[in-house]
Amino acid sequence: MSEETIAMKVARYRPEHAAEPYVDEYRVPYREDMVVLDALNQIKDEIDGSLAYRWSCRMGVCGSCGMMVNGKPRLTCSTFLREFYPKPVVVEPLRHFPVIRDLVVDMTDFMEKLKEVKPWIIRKGEKPVEEGEYLQTPEEVDAYKQFSMCINCMLCYSACPVYGRDPEFLGPAVIALGRRYNLDSRDQGQAERREVLGVDWGIWDCTFVGECTVVCPKDVDPSAAIQREKVATTTEAMLSVMLPFKGRT
Amino acid sequence: MSKREGARYPAYVPEYPRSWWLQTGPYRRFAAREITSMFVAAFSGLLLLFLFAVSRGREAYEGFLRWLKLPAVVAVFAVILVAVLYHMATWFRLTAHIQVVRLGRKVVPKSVVIAGLFGTWVLASVIVAYFHIWF
Repeated sequence: MSEETIAMKVARYRPEHAAEPYVDEYRVPYREDMVVLDALNQIKDEIDGSLAYRWSCRMGVCGSCGMMVNGKPRLTCSTFLREFYPKPVVVEPLRHFPVIRDLVVDMTDFMEKLKEVKPWIIRKGEKPVEEGEYLQTPEEVDAYKQFSMCINCMLCYSACPVYGRDPEFLGPAVIALGRRYNLDSRDQGQAERREVLGVDWGIWDCTFVGECTVVCPKDVDPSAAIQREKVATTTEAMLSVMLPFKGRT
Repeated sequence: MSKREGARYPAYVPEYPRSWWLQTGPYRRFAAREITSMFVAAFSGLLLLFLFAVSRGREAYEGFLRWLKLPAVVAVFAVILVAVLYHMATWFRLTAHIQVVRLGRKVVPKSVVIAGLFGTWVLASVIVAYFHIWF
């Protein structure tokens, strides 16, 4: 019985061997239930152990295996080969990030920006433990829940031409996460976060291309988060002009 | 390619071309949306010219109307109309994407919001046309 195979064109970058990236082509056995990550594991185990890529959970939760698959940012663990078969599958590292090796990118920039937006609950003062938890109604949870589903896979950064042209841009996931905490009824850090978000390289750099929302595997909808943060920031600025003494004691 | 200064290891940084907006369908549609905003500005310019003509008296106003009826001007404004309508349609779609409309606890679906915006636009156009034709 002849086995069905599929061609995998995989971008390689091995600075000790070649200054520029190149493409290696492999043929791996094809089954209908195989995902791109299965094919990469097949290559690494059976054909070429030198191939480098990140992966962990295999089920769309960890956000490690994001790569460009046939030109689009995808999680390779949830992208089936049958979408492309019998055509070859082209796998490249995530766009807009420096490539360290083969399919592995340097995510330092993203990790630094993630910290800047203070993605944790900020309280002006903690209440004593005896007073219990900070309770929320289902509506208060719904207000931010969608934006809390981000798995930091960085696909949105690869889809964003603004980040591609201007690496200073805070980017979709980071702003969506800032918005997530701003919308949390337990949080009191809006003013601190607005100093990070409301700058030229923050929300105002976004031109609303909207592709971040399209590629997001968790339906976080970062583009809506950014535009709504723009509306909230503008509304607050207008109110501070019209009601200058509001909130002052 | 460029090497990053001070990085722990060499890395390949691909150039991102200036022509990125021609690369994919969604990027091209984004570019079309942004470029058609220029036509909205052009239409606003026409309104300003109209007001300017009115302010200079009857003769200037009638001259302006004659200029508007020149075939070349009509052709230009036909193009502007198409571009403005396209821009408006994209705008309605984006508005529905950003603005969450709630009725009580329920969120109104985006398609209903878009239909509401189009409906309001048609209604406004009908009212303007009514006053223009009968008064």
